Amino acid sequence: MRNLLELSWRLLRGGGRQAMLGTWLTAAAVAVSSALLLFAVAANVAFGARADREAWRHPVAAAGTPVAIEATSQDHVRDRIITIVDVAPLREAAGVRPPGMSRMPRPGEVWVSPGLAELMAGLPAKQLAERFPGKVAGTLGDDGLLYPGELVAVVGRTPADPAMTASRADQPLTTTSPTKIADFAGKAGDEITVYRIMALIASVLMVVPLLVFGGAAARLTVARRDQRLAALRLVGATPGQVVLMTVAEAVITAFGGAVLGLALYGAAAPLLGRIRMAGGSWFAADLWPGVLPVLGVLLAVPLLVGLSAVVGLRRVVVSPLGVARRQTPPAMRFVRVVALLAILAAVPAAFRNTSAAVVAIVLALAFLALNLVGPWVVGVIGRTTTRTARSPARLLAGRRLVDDPKSAWRTVSGVALTGFVAGFIGLLSPSSDLLGEPPATTGLRLTVPAAQAPALAGQAEDRLAGAGIDARVEVSGSSGDSGDSGRRMLTITLPPAAGAARTDTARTALAGLVPGRIATSPVDERVLGDQLLDDVRTGTLIVLGVSFLVAIASAGITAASSVLDRRQAYALLHLAGTPLEVLDRARRAETLVPLAVMGGGSIVTGMFCALPFVPAVMNVTGALTLLVTVAVGFAGVVGAGALSRPLLRSVTANPAPRPD
Amino acid sequence: MSEIVLSGRRLAKRFGPAVALAGVDVAIGRAEALAIMGPSGSGKSTLLHCLAGVMKPDSGEVHLLGQRIDTVRERERSALRRTKFGFVFQFGQLLPELPAEENVALPLMLGGTARARAVREAREWFGPLGLGGMEGRRPGELSGGQAQRVAIARALVTRPAVIFADEPTGALDQATGHEIMRILVEATKHNGASLVVVTHDPEVARWCDRVAEVRDGMILPGHAVGRDGMGLSRHVEGREGMGSSGHAGGREQGRTRVLPGFEGSDA
Repeated sequence: MRNLLELSWRLLRGGGRQAMLGTWLTAAAVAVSSALLLFAVAANVAFGARADREAWRHPVAAAGTPVAIEATSQDHVRDRIITIVDVAPLREAAGVRPPGMSRMPRPGEVWVSPGLAELMAGLPAKQLAERFPGKVAGTLGDDGLLYPGELVAVVGRTPADPAMTASRADQPLTTTSPTKIADFAGKAGDEITVYRIMALIASVLMVVPLLVFGGAAARLTVARRDQRLAALRLVGATPGQVVLMTVAEAVITAFGGAVLGLALYGAAAPLLGRIRMAGGSWFAADLWPGVLPVLGVLLAVPLLVGLSAVVGLRRVVVSPLGVARRQTPPAMRFVRVVALLAILAAVPAAFRNTSAAVVAIVLALAFLALNLVGPWVVGVIGRTTTRTARSPARLLAGRRLVDDPKSAWRTVSGVALTGFVAGFIGLLSPSSDLLGEPPATTGLRLTVPAAQAPALAGQAEDRLAGAGIDARVEVSGSSGDSGDSGRRMLTITLPPAAGAARTDTARTALAGLVPGRIATSPVDERVLGDQLLDDVRTGTLIVLGVSFLVAIASAGITAASSVLDRRQAYALLHLAGTPLEVLDRARRAETLVPLAVMGGGSIVTGMFCALPFVPAVMNVTGALTLLVTVAVGFAGVVGAGALSRPLLRSVTANPAPRPD
Repeated sequence: MSEIVLSGRRLAKRFGPAVALAGVDVAIGRAEALAIMGPSGSGKSTLLHCLAGVMKPDSGEVHLLGQRIDTVRERERSALRRTKFGFVFQFGQLLPELPAEENVALPLMLGGTARARAVREAREWFGPLGLGGMEGRRPGELSGGQAQRVAIARALVTRPAVIFADEPTGALDQATGHEIMRILVEATKHNGASLVVVTHDPEVARWCDRVAEVRDGMILPGHAVGRDGMGLSRHVEGREGMGSSGHAGGREQGRTRVLPGFEGSDA
């Protein structure tokens, strides 16, 4: 066993320049895969960490003796959201305190986040600081914040404070009513849960191409080992020994690649941390997926690569003569297409059932079916290309496609599967006018108890006048919620072109007019929705970016390995006077023709799967995303393939090629 | 010697400290078959590569039909190899994805012949070379000897001036090897082409009109023996001043010829 491992290690190191190049290519492929896999894992862990840090702002009613009353609301300054948490301590309880604070806030105290403190210092007190009653007693630590720079204020109040008694249930999206709590553990918020689900879907979309890619990388090691391992079999190595040696070699390479991937991820983490999601960027610690997940990736990736190597080796192990003789392979079965059609037929039915699990399963099945159909279509394309070929390059390309449609599919599968993703989210990516035109009115709205409405309207006018704002205050019907006849809406019309500073002054003047209620503008009410749309767009771009990175790296590595695999034939062809340009053209056609067909087919399939979700026509952003996807995909694959041109020159430079 | 088709003059080539060729003179006449013999590392493959325009010699000249070819650019040498030369290697030269007839047609297509015509012309070679019915088979479905015959067809299809064969029977058993050499020599001559065969096997060399033996980058003075009745000139390759008198011990045994000092390797 030890001897075998030593021999594997020596073979790995002493395999010559080209074998070493293959080893490096595999390691590079595994490094990219591992880094992206870590990113996919980290994204989920990071949203989980945010959810944990934010949970205390979603109070859970105490089962036993409560220690405090907690309520939340949302205020705005300029175009940013301020989260306000009102806390009224009921009794002393050792150790119970909101995360990020050293103790429970006392009535009359305000604790602010560093971001808010900075903003309060930067803006005139009339615009922001005066909104918070009491003195600023402390700064909130990172433990209690979603992201660096988040605006949060914790306001200490007495249990009898009207803000701690009045229900806020009519505004469930932006507020929580006063709740008696036993601790600050809280629960995950709805908004962050939506983000976590989206992150999970994005991860699945990224991981599938990554796995295909990893498998291709492992085959790349094995392909060039065929001959040598067959020779080992001839001198009497048992199948077990051959398998062990290959797996050892693949696993050693893959482990090196995985470690490299970890370093790559570590280097990229500061950049990734700057991606804004749900209002802000990330704490450095958020991007560390944790020891166990990292160990998991470092172990799972080499294992997967080893497994893929075993599968690729079956041929050699079966016969000592090893490398199978090349014969016309049987055509792929049409049943592959039937599978895809069956799944696509199920799409409209499945999506009528809006359960997320069903949708996810159908999506995953469509994805897999596409992967199944790919080689079949590539075979058909190959036969058509061969039949119609006039130039040697196209003839070579066509024959190559017929000969090994699976390997040709591996080259383009990344981009084709990305096409599916692009088609799917291209249709779904929300257009900026989904929420309608941005409101033109400059004004604020405030919900008030019906009985006090006229009096409060007067007080509001006085307060605004005191702040130097000439505003008109009107009382309108219910707050909009039909059946809530106990409330009225104060509509405060500010002078036209009031500007953000004036609006913030008006907000500050109205703060505390109705306990627990905050005046908001129509623009404020769109902030959350706009933010969500922005984030979906960012997420889409990230998934597409990652998919492309994988697809392009995959195309480059496959192109390089195909050159290495055929280096003898290429070198002899070149020796016999075949211009290298013909070989370049053949290799390009071999990739581009299936790419055009499969890429297009995948986009259409993706769009078809997205159809049930799309209300009307496709939006401009989606079309643009798709267009860019197609352009970048083609350019990337052609570019990656072109990278192996120097390799082709190097392998054909050897005038006396010998098989090794 | 009949008209000289290809010649090398004072060819020298080094790979780092190793001398592969140390001033070799060699000439091949029209429809003549020359065997370049020598043990591994003697420089015989380097000589073939220099003559075929695959490699540039460090010094010396290579002439094809009176035209110097070692100084032209790689692009033109590549075109030269495609049109004026044909190549047969030990194995691995056929593209595994292409059926036999397309492998043979490929050089014609590369030269601009339309596919249908190229394949038609390629097919014409199959019958005479004993490959009838194998046109649609892929290299993996051919025996070693059949694959070499396809390679010979591919080398000849462009009607080149010179065929270079590097250990053409190296991967074959003796009987098949003889058969391939017979076909190679006959087909080449039938087409008026010259043949340069690199081999370490005297059995293979016997099929040629002359033998040049390479040792340490030089051609040893010695005899080359022609086949009976072929009317070819006897010629001794070697550097100037190295006579042939001491090596006149070649003997003929019908169709097989033995070189001096190689009798022992007959078995």
